[in-house]
Amino acid sequence: MTTYSDKIKEISKRLLKEGKVDLVIGFRKGSVPLMNQPMFAKNEGDVDSFVWDSNCGINLANYVTDRSEKIGIVAKGCDSRNLVVHIIENKIKRDQLHIIGVPCKAMVDRHKIAAMMPGEIESIEENEADGTLTVTGSGFSETLNKAGVLQENCALCMHRNPVLYDELIAEEVTEQNPEEVDQYAAVREVENMAPEEKWAYFDSLFSECIRCYACRNACPLCYCPTCFVDESKPQWVGKSVDPADVRTFHFLRAYHCAGRCTDCGACVRSCPVGINVRALTKKLEKDCLENFDWKSGLTLDKRPPLDTFRPDDPEEFIK
Amino acid sequence: MKNLMEHMGLDPGRLHFSWISSAESTKFVDVAKKVTAEVKALESKEKKFVKTKPKVA
Amino acid sequence: MKVIKIDKSEFNAGLEKLENAYRLFGPVKEQSYYAFKALDAGEKPDLEYTNTRLSAKSLLYPQSEVLFEYSLDKSDADYAILKEPEKDYSPRAVIGIRPCDADAFAVVRRNFETPEYQDTYWLKNYDATTLVGLACDNPVPTCFCTSAGSGPFNEANLDVLLVDTGDAYLARVLTEKGEKLADSAGWTKPADQSEEDVSKRRSEAESKIKSRVNTENLKDQALTSLYDADAAIWEKEAFSCINCGTCTYACPTCWCFDVQDENYGKSGVRIRNWDSCMYPLFSVHASGHNPRGQKLARIRQRFMHKLKYYVDKYDKGIQCTGCGRCVRMCPVNIDIRRVCNQMNSYDPESCSCAVTS
Repeated sequence: MTTYSDKIKEISKRLLKEGKVDLVIGFRKGSVPLMNQPMFAKNEGDVDSFVWDSNCGINLANYVTDRSEKIGIVAKGCDSRNLVVHIIENKIKRDQLHIIGVPCKAMVDRHKIAAMMPGEIESIEENEADGTLTVTGSGFSETLNKAGVLQENCALCMHRNPVLYDELIAEEVTEQNPEEVDQYAAVREVENMAPEEKWAYFDSLFSECIRCYACRNACPLCYCPTCFVDESKPQWVGKSVDPADVRTFHFLRAYHCAGRCTDCGACVRSCPVGINVRALTKKLEKDCLENFDWKSGLTLDKRPPLDTFRPDDPEEFIK
Repeated sequence: MKNLMEHMGLDPGRLHFSWISSAESTKFVDVAKKVTAEVKALESKEKKFVKTKPKVA
Repeated sequence: MKVIKIDKSEFNAGLEKLENAYRLFGPVKEQSYYAFKALDAGEKPDLEYTNTRLSAKSLLYPQSEVLFEYSLDKSDADYAILKEPEKDYSPRAVIGIRPCDADAFAVVRRNFETPEYQDTYWLKNYDATTLVGLACDNPVPTCFCTSAGSGPFNEANLDVLLVDTGDAYLARVLTEKGEKLADSAGWTKPADQSEEDVSKRRSEAESKIKSRVNTENLKDQALTSLYDADAAIWEKEAFSCINCGTCTYACPTCWCFDVQDENYGKSGVRIRNWDSCMYPLFSVHASGHNPRGQKLARIRQRFMHKLKYYVDKYDKGIQCTGCGRCVRMCPVNIDIRRVCNQMNSYDPESCSCAVTS
């Protein structure tokens, strides 16, 4: 995606030069394979570090929360959806943003690739023409099909093209056919379990959690000044790694994302121990779609379902 | 809310929603009694989110 | 120093003998990664590992640890009195710890054992523990121990160092504790002419470590000028940080904790949990004021502590042993090697760093 990187640099330079924005937010090449680092550029010299490849999975909308400058922001499909959510929730103003839209070709799953390799990965070469990745490490070199190692949320993604932008860096990509992608297979699998199985499933899912809160902090939705787990008057949740406390954290955090989550996958990507946090949020997404015909972050013109009342809202649960 | 509760293996019977007008005091009493009874009945069936004192290593 | 040769075929039998005298801990493969854990009877450590995902610090310093127990029952004679519970400080041995992680205990000890204050919980665990290290033949690209005061064959703070020679381990018995352990395991066969073999393997391993940090100027840099290097260093590094605690929890030398009381009906416990200087809550005052309210201040604190305050206070190098875990695990790729090199090369005159990557 060299052309993507070049185009991003070109646009960013122009925006900074013309004084349209005070800074541009994008990615720079990471110091280790499969990682890129979010960065800002305030002058044209910094812009040269910008890069775009299949490791830009962190959601950049997280970096504009409550900022006061004029911001240029590089945004793939999900980032743009979270910018929409931010604008709706008054975390940033539309006219503060110049959105540099990136038609996204999906991000790769760093945990998955690392687990597939027989040893430490030293470098990754991306070949866009035939959709492969060549992963090299000490004593091995393997070529992978990129389509097989996508982040799960990217494999299911229906909005690779930005929904809101000021300019696009390239032609839109073809969206996946909704008929061909089974969005909720993993959710249904859990739905079909017996209650005890469900409980055990989430027990094992969260057993590795070290409560570093990377999932929460990487999430653009989690911008509360004080998170409920950090409250001390009263203290809602214990601070140890007791399974009841760990589960309370994940469970309640998920609720706070209901009707807002765009399934950008930043939580899973950022988790240092590779927990599939989306197991909870995907279920909420499914419920919002089924009950309210709602997918978040697609338009500035509609209020989210949990902040509006409609006479035809489902209410059979009320007795 | 209920759906996710159920999804993670909790009995949905633990959560109840009702419309009660401020004038319906008897309904409030009835509902409160019913909810308490139902949730108590579940207690013997499942004990979840119960935190036990940490072990001394 | 004694050097013993242990044939691999006899190694497990030795471990079985050790089970009588020690509680054994070692690296075990769990799904796709390794972790240190207490070994069950007959369970063997997997010494084919590179390194564990999280560091070995939890062996002496669990993420959550009970310090006291108390009663909240007013009719109880011990009502509201903090009592230290019985703990198991019987001898334990860690089999196969990497030199960087063992060295990290020496770093932590400087803080937990000072003339004024002793952290008795950590020290009792430490004193009860015999560290059997495993020399590192295959360091990974994120390892930079050789320039962080440690090394793949570093013997500092170990009681025994095992060097893998193919069909045998050469056990370099470094301390009295180590001798005692070797005796209990029945490892007695002296190894002849091992020195040359070991030093060859050592230099081979060291030469595989390509990544490094430069630390020679850190001590001479003026503290305040580094502290004030916002534009050159901190703004850029702080920008991407999401303020999670991953780096601090993964780090073998991060020692900060938070104390909490948890009540359970009529009794309760006082526990300590790992804390992280990356969290706003870490430094918030009872008044509500937070001296490190901004992300930049928190990022600066972490790196200044490791690479400047510690360096100045103890004069024993940096508070880092180069294990590379924070580099590997940071969700947004903040790299301590880059920060260290920037701090080391910072020029207060021009407010810029000669090295930026």
